[in-house]
Amino acid sequence: MESRKLASFFEEDLCIFSLRSRKKSSVLQEMVRRLATAGRISDEHFIMEMLKNRESLGSTGLGMSVAFPHGRSLAIKKLTVLFARSAGGVDFEAQDGENTKIFFLILAPSDKGAEIYLALLSELIGIIQKPQKLEKLLTVKDYASLVAVLDGDE
Amino acid sequence: MREEFRLLVGLQDLDIMIKDMKDKVTTDELKNMGFKLEGLEELLTARTKLASKIPTALLNRYEKLAGHYKVAILPVSGNQCLGCFVKLPTSFFSSAYSHELLTCENCGRMLYIP
Repeated sequence: MESRKLASFFEEDLCIFSLRSRKKSSVLQEMVRRLATAGRISDEHFIMEMLKNRESLGSTGLGMSVAFPHGRSLAIKKLTVLFARSAGGVDFEAQDGENTKIFFLILAPSDKGAEIYLALLSELIGIIQKPQKLEKLLTVKDYASLVAVLDGDE
Repeated sequence: MREEFRLLVGLQDLDIMIKDMKDKVTTDELKNMGFKLEGLEELLTARTKLASKIPTALLNRYEKLAGHYKVAILPVSGNQCLGCFVKLPTSFFSSAYSHELLTCENCGRMLYIP
């Protein structure tokens, strides 16, 4: 990936620190609704359909309380990431069977190759594999602390 | 947007996902990250179901373009075709065409005004 700091992919209005939804489909809907409200997508329906189709291939809940819903769509113009946290956790059909508390929703435009989001996905997975970072992400409550965790040294 | 355009855009998004799932480099990378990728058959079934809802002539036109370009249908933005970046004639933006599926005269891609 280009030498761009990881936190620079995140925007304050695309962070949800307390998800209200408790079910898999409604969590996806809540995140997509935020993208629509923030004017980042041209059509909620296309994004929802794409994400549901992606989940049908296997849950993007990798375990360790983290999920990475992702994909490409005509309804998005540039690589976009939304961060969301659920204090109580959600049954996202994660591989370890545990509830998911952290969501990184990654969307890329359809006229670019898959590599545009794969590099970012890989870097984020690297972050959650660091126990101290994961622990902090699970309790992060505002944008400044999220940025500190993503770009911090530890 | 008219329902048939919505269906076409949905079909295109699905085709892109199917293409990614058939690409070994992409799937190997995702699997190495820990993602499970099963159920391509389900995607193909969903594609067949979605395609059956699209009028045949429109579907044929899409299939032909999709075989040629990464994206066959695009929204118009900034008075340009986002496929070939040619400036579109002002007649495109007349209200009479606002609900029609248009064609870029330069590259032939299908365009709609979002």
